[in-house]
Amino acid sequence: MSLRIAGAGWITPLGRGVKNVWERLLRGEEAVAQTISEALEKKKYPVFPVPSDALKDLPPHSRLRRASAISRFAAAAGLDALADSGMKIDAEISNRMALVFAVSNGGVIYTKRFYHDVVTSGAQSASPLLFPETVFNAPASHLAAILGITGASYTLVGDGAVGILAIKMAADLMENETLDYCLVVGAEEADWLLCDAYHRWRLLKSKPPIEPFHEPPRGMILSEGAGAVLLAREGTVEIDKIHPGANFSRREKASEQMTRILSDLAAAKAEMIIASANGTFVDLAERNAVLHETPEAVVYAPKPALGESVGPSAIWQVIIAAQALRTKRLPPLLHANSKVALHVSGPAGEKISAPSAIVLSCSVNQQMAGLRLSI
Amino acid sequence: MNGKTKQARVAVVGAGVVSPLGLGLAETLDSLLAGRDCVTPVTRFDVEQCRCKTAGQIPDERLSAYHQNGRRARRLHRASRMMICALDEALTQDAKFKPELTVIGTTSGGMSFGEDYYRSLYRHDRLWRAPSWIANYPPQKAVIDAQETFGISAPCQVIANACASGTNAIGHAFECVRSGKYQGVLTGGYDALSELVFVGFDSLQAATPEKCRPFDRDRTGMVLGEGAAIFALENFESAQSRGARILAEIIGYGLSTDNFHLTQPEPSGSGPRQAMEQALRSAGLSAGAIDYINAHGTATPFNDAAEGKAIAQLFGRVPVSSTKGMMGHSLGGAGAIEAIFCLLALQNQFLPPNINFRAPDDDVDLDVVANESRPAKIDIVLSNSFGFGGTNASIVMQKFAA
Repeated sequence: MSLRIAGAGWITPLGRGVKNVWERLLRGEEAVAQTISEALEKKKYPVFPVPSDALKDLPPHSRLRRASAISRFAAAAGLDALADSGMKIDAEISNRMALVFAVSNGGVIYTKRFYHDVVTSGAQSASPLLFPETVFNAPASHLAAILGITGASYTLVGDGAVGILAIKMAADLMENETLDYCLVVGAEEADWLLCDAYHRWRLLKSKPPIEPFHEPPRGMILSEGAGAVLLAREGTVEIDKIHPGANFSRREKASEQMTRILSDLAAAKAEMIIASANGTFVDLAERNAVLHETPEAVVYAPKPALGESVGPSAIWQVIIAAQALRTKRLPPLLHANSKVALHVSGPAGEKISAPSAIVLSCSVNQQMAGLRLSI
Repeated sequence: MNGKTKQARVAVVGAGVVSPLGLGLAETLDSLLAGRDCVTPVTRFDVEQCRCKTAGQIPDERLSAYHQNGRRARRLHRASRMMICALDEALTQDAKFKPELTVIGTTSGGMSFGEDYYRSLYRHDRLWRAPSWIANYPPQKAVIDAQETFGISAPCQVIANACASGTNAIGHAFECVRSGKYQGVLTGGYDALSELVFVGFDSLQAATPEKCRPFDRDRTGMVLGEGAAIFALENFESAQSRGARILAEIIGYGLSTDNFHLTQPEPSGSGPRQAMEQALRSAGLSAGAIDYINAHGTATPFNDAAEGKAIAQLFGRVPVSSTKGMMGHSLGGAGAIEAIFCLLALQNQFLPPNINFRAPDDDVDLDVVANESRPAKIDIVLSNSFGFGGTNASIVMQKFAA
């Protein structure tokens, strides 16, 4: 079965719209960090937020009236992916479309507000309006309602690799010939609480930039947004292989597992790799895997420019890989360790001729996966 | 549901469960046959300000007596311990089962670790345990912990479709094996009781201060529960060829998304009906072939009215019970645990009881298996799960006759 990308959409800290953000990435631009604070604690953290004007064109819908940022981001990316495909959704199409939603932390802003009321004022203060929005599948439910999807809708939870796991699930769903399309959406919203959690886990950097492939690793900066790809049986870019994913029990095992994934995906010596390097231990796993399996491959990692968004991050990588194949260009890898032995994409952007691209995703909490695109 | 002409049969070759009804299939069967009420006053957190003060709970001492493994075990969330118990039982039945994929449903993962972290932040406590709480909180962690305990390294898909998660997970795993792409898939669901979720349902007034009375005229709402259940699903021919003991077959799956409201079903029951109809089509059966329905039956006025109407319209007076009166609603674990109840019902030829039932609802004409289990000749059963976000899922299970 052929599985192809028929449309894509994203909303990122560099703005909205595939072409707009792609051009900014090619120019070597990076998101602007903002500092967020919380009354609970003195600590402040940098994040890469979605610009406030990025949602200004989002059509109004009753489901989004009280919805959290994550649901709005998802709606924007999902609608843009459908628009990119040129498809006008109607009842017949929505009946033959599934939705797979990838998320890691979910509606953390409303969850924090809901539980804060419980902790500070007791259970009687708990808000029945907030609680439903804390459920992992609330953003998927809103998006399904906006698009009129009445069949399969799955919310998949995982770590940074969840976007690829979601594409794998979509590929399995598309085995069913009653489906013609599967919209895969990843979304996340940034919040102080998440920053504090990753900081206490010693994975966060105190200020930008994210510096990939440094030793020792210097840490990541969180971001937010959404990415969406519409999968179909026709389209210019083919997903020709998906590794179903793997788990690693200890960080030291990550290199070994990632090497296996890359070995499974690598089709030729000269490849293009869109890596998930985010300034943490995952960089070493990816570097070791590339040096072992495809040392001549050109490597680009978008997280120094876009931040670590977790849920949508792998979908963003897939969109970048598809854009690179279409335009035969790769953006420059920002802030990389100059001594890294990898062939990283150059400062002026890289002209490429590779017919395929590999997306790798190694996440900080034990999951990893990868896929290969070709044109 | 699957449009392909060639479809593999899907065998259940292993099953394991832990719930308030007991640890393991034998204790669970005993509780089901006895119609035991395992809902007790909540002890895990303070419920003084809540309307509802009861839940189905698994005693900690029973979980911690299981698979103690030094420091690592102490760091595990109790959801991980539940999953380890359930997986252990499933693998004990078929030690040679080798999954290529694991599909598990949950709604809240290790939520209570997130609560510990937030409360400690708020109180300005020392947060030396925070890294462990944060690392062990995510929903995939309990699945990976359980797999690691038994040396399994299959990739994990963790489905969070609210209260339908467990049935969605089994259904998707079934489709994966049925398509022929996978030979063996581990599946199931879990959820551990947490304060945030308990207070949430209480705030919606979906939880009752009284007994949970599914399908009763005077029902007033649900009580929460917890637990985990695991199924080992395998291509039927592959299972037979290696001499595996086949416990039952999954033969159908249907799902629908009801866009009516984030927390309420469409009142006519169209969403549940669509899922059940699709499950029947997937199984190639007419409604008359179903011998028993394990209903979602949360005992909320809205759910039971919508589900009851859909069942009555589609199946007439087939025996129906909701087992949530006995152990509460275990959310992401519910669909998987109730599928275990269906398996036990098929293997032991009885209908699980719908306890706390006093009087039928005048608006819903159902054959409720009231209060006591019934001996019955049953070959094919259907299990429903519905959830927030309008997710509806149904699976069909068939007795295996060797």
